[in-house]
Amino acid sequence: MTTDELDPLIHVPTRLKIVATLAALPDGDTLSFTRLQDMIGLTPGNLIIHLRKLEDADYISSEKTRNGAVSITTVALTGHGRTALGTYTQALRDLLGGL
Amino acid sequence: MNHTPDTTTADNGGNFDPQQAAALLDQATVQARRRFSPGPPLLWVYRAAFVLVVFGGYWRSVRGHDPYSAPPGGLVAVIFALVAINIVWSVWALKRAGAGVSGPAQRKRQAWIGVMLVAWVAAYAVTAPLYHASASHPVWALYPASAPLMIVGLVGAATSAARRDWLTAGITLAIALIAAVAGFGGPAGAWLIMGIGLSAVCLGAAAFKVWQQHRSVVRP
Repeated sequence: MTTDELDPLIHVPTRLKIVATLAALPDGDTLSFTRLQDMIGLTPGNLIIHLRKLEDADYISSEKTRNGAVSITTVALTGHGRTALGTYTQALRDLLGGL
Repeated sequence: MNHTPDTTTADNGGNFDPQQAAALLDQATVQARRRFSPGPPLLWVYRAAFVLVVFGGYWRSVRGHDPYSAPPGGLVAVIFALVAINIVWSVWALKRAGAGVSGPAQRKRQAWIGVMLVAWVAAYAVTAPLYHASASHPVWALYPASAPLMIVGLVGAATSAARRDWLTAGITLAIALIAAVAGFGGPAGAWLIMGIGLSAVCLGAAAFKVWQQHRSVVRP
């Protein structure tokens, strides 16, 4: 097995942190954009770029709700994203075991 | 998402080797687990000391006093202070863990907290009429020591198992079992058994939380 076989969408430091953070939540729970930004330590613009890539692959879902004048964006790992992270983690194990 | 992107410095995985990825995955997971945890290990260590002081203090005030009247004022003041710290710390930890998090698990947790608050109030409310009815020494000494926590523990275990929170179910079931055993310790011994038993459970919970938060995702 080679590193080329690692999911290129997850095998990027920032996106790996995003996916690992969202995976720590119970299935079905969502995290606000601001809390995720605080935990990952990125600018809003950079975070959005990575979230879009993950959302395009159906690894995460996002929802925007309005609470009066305030709009809140929440993100969650999808079942597909959770499976992808599991596959990625297993691939890492296999790679590290073979090194 | 309609935020306006500022700088476009999205990194790529070009020089990201598997060891680095494994270390980052573990680090991010540990950090997330710690920040989403409503019961940090240090809070459980505090609770271990707290129950030892409260139940140990009562044991010292009860033993050799028949009929038993009331705990000394100093002990009551210390208990109130320790309870207040426990409540403030617990609420702070809950709020910090749940900030920005929503969904079914959060709603279930909030409902569970409501049920447990009712169970706590109901279980301890019975001690007031007992006091006013001049209950006998064994009843008055035993009831506050073990019975309320047996009730609270059983309610906690059943409701936690229903929402598949096995750690909390284990902790609350252990509390109920210790309370049941303490009942056989007699009016004074019940307090001592509760103090030592609950302190051990809290330390066990703290140790389990540390292990749970720090266990590797990549290396089983």
